[in-house]
Amino acid sequence: MLAQLVVSGIGQGSIYALVALGMTILFRVTTVVNFAHGELFMFSAFVIYLLLNAFDVPYLLAALAAILVLFVLGSVVERVLMRPIRHAPHMALAMMTVALSYLLRGVVRMGWGGDVRSLPPMFTFDPVMLGTVVLAAQDIVTIGATLLLVAGFFVLLQRSRFGKLAQAATDSPRGAALIGLNVPGFHRTMWGVAAAMAAIAGILVAPVTLLYPDMGAQVLVRAFAAMTLGGFGNLGGAVAGGLLMGVLEQLAGFYVSTAMIDIASYIVIIVVLLSRPAGLFGRVERVRV
Amino acid sequence: MRMRWLALGAILAICLSGGAQAADPGLTKNSIKIGVFGPLTGPAAAFGKAQLGIRAVYDDLNEHGGINGRKIEVVLEDTACDPAKGIAASKKLIAQDQVFLLHGGSCSNVVMALKPDVIASGVPYVVATAANASITDPVAPNVFQTVATTATMGRTMVDFAMTKPDAKRIAVISHSDEWGKSGHDPALVELKTKFDLTPVADVTFERGSINATPQVLQIKNANPDFVLAFLYPAEYAIFLREASKYGLNVPSMGSQAISIQDTAQQVGNPAIMKNVYVFYPLAAQIGDAKIARWVDIFTKYNPGVRLESNGLLGMGGAEAVIEALRQAGPDLTRAKFLAALDNLHNFDTGILAAPLEFSPTHHAGMNGGATITYVGDKLVLIHKFTDAQK
Repeated sequence: MLAQLVVSGIGQGSIYALVALGMTILFRVTTVVNFAHGELFMFSAFVIYLLLNAFDVPYLLAALAAILVLFVLGSVVERVLMRPIRHAPHMALAMMTVALSYLLRGVVRMGWGGDVRSLPPMFTFDPVMLGTVVLAAQDIVTIGATLLLVAGFFVLLQRSRFGKLAQAATDSPRGAALIGLNVPGFHRTMWGVAAAMAAIAGILVAPVTLLYPDMGAQVLVRAFAAMTLGGFGNLGGAVAGGLLMGVLEQLAGFYVSTAMIDIASYIVIIVVLLSRPAGLFGRVERVRV
Repeated sequence: MRMRWLALGAILAICLSGGAQAADPGLTKNSIKIGVFGPLTGPAAAFGKAQLGIRAVYDDLNEHGGINGRKIEVVLEDTACDPAKGIAASKKLIAQDQVFLLHGGSCSNVVMALKPDVIASGVPYVVATAANASITDPVAPNVFQTVATTATMGRTMVDFAMTKPDAKRIAVISHSDEWGKSGHDPALVELKTKFDLTPVADVTFERGSINATPQVLQIKNANPDFVLAFLYPAEYAIFLREASKYGLNVPSMGSQAISIQDTAQQVGNPAIMKNVYVFYPLAAQIGDAKIARWVDIFTKYNPGVRLESNGLLGMGGAEAVIEALRQAGPDLTRAKFLAALDNLHNFDTGILAAPLEFSPTHHAGMNGGATITYVGDKLVLIHKFTDAQK
């Protein structure tokens, strides 16, 4: 039973990790906490739903199109909503993302109402049995995609020239501009990348969770908890935090009470912020003045 | 002094005679104004289809000449399933639009929030599809429910589960919110008092959750004969998928919030649906000739709106309103209308699964319901578990 819960928790945690990863990338580069990330995730699922049902597009093509649409949407959001207020306080930037989240939910409700809809599973092969432990195809793919993406972004942001430029644009936008880096364009691209990450999460998760306008809300809270647990801005921390959150929820839900599942993420946020504000893998920033 | 008393007497006489003849608000010689409200937008907009069905019944009545020489004038308001908006909508309908009666509310939290003001106003209020038992318990003289309450649903679900041969081990999964508890708690009381049983597993599954592994494994460990699920549609579909994944292959029954056709589509596996039963509040399934009249009315007045059971559920209440208006006669008053509703006995609406039964001390009118399930690839209405096995 314990093994089943841990395996299920890792599958569940991968979803949180994927969402947290997208938010972390954006936070790391722009220092914006995107409260609309859950809605971008939801929106991508509805884009696929529309393409599959209204235009009869093949699944794979619809998924690729959704990633592209979300990349463009993320870029437009940066250009139209975020850039004009880029010098505003963090609270104003955060509130803009909150407004965007409600806007996206409203748009989907106008188009599809509040009905619960479903996407066909992406993969129809049978679950894998590891002894008595059941591992669903969807879980395997989600876990694999999470590991691949985190490895890819780790290399991109920590080991490449692009990563160094990203760090420069974050730490000193003016300095980065002086050496010829197009900082606004860079931010626009990273908004697009983060939104495309939300699309990947949506593509993997929507067949399991079903589609409805509020589907992003719960996942977003879990992703925040994962980021808090792993350390804000830390890519590996976001993934480790997501996986830990998933396993913690499953174990607490089974061995303590199912009522614990819903509050586990809030308990994690409170405990981590009180005991280790930088998270498990985050570093305390010290500025010498 | 004497003149003063005479004048006072004359004023009193005018008031009394005038008061007896003055029409209640919302009434003219040719019209009855009814305030219809519900969640037309927002997360619970799917439940708002009930209001479209109610309006369609009144539109159809108007097209056939109205009632006692009057036509129904509907004023429609949106609550978005938000208590604050619900209170604002009911106050507007009562004070500004001056409706004769209110007919609306599909979210129990909204109805519970606006109920005190409506009771104080004395305006007759027929609840659309909100099902929380606390809405009409305790009874208020002007508030009536025309769908099965969550308590009735919970008890009926237990009674159905216990028609399974040798059923002894009942498990329960529910949301922990007010809606979930309002079905869960009466079900447990019914299980204890009528069958002397306690559930072998009693777990919660919160709204918006996307994984039910701990719940399913706990229930599976308890080895139940039957699972009662007080869950909303998305969560019930997720539970069914996970139950199948972990080999929990026992019958389960969902609440009246569930559309079995939608669930079948969401689950995407016909084999899972063989073990699924759903409390069904309508007299027949959509497509059956028995309720074709209401299906036709809904689609005629709501072109382009996808019909599901929610759209038909409020229509029984509209039929009850029309019947009470008919019985109250041409000299209509609110008092006569309320008295007519209080005396509505064994009223077959034609669309609901059970007749409506009101009295001055009982305003939850629908006291039963049917069960719907798939037998092969066909949907059938049944009343006993064993009927589905035949």
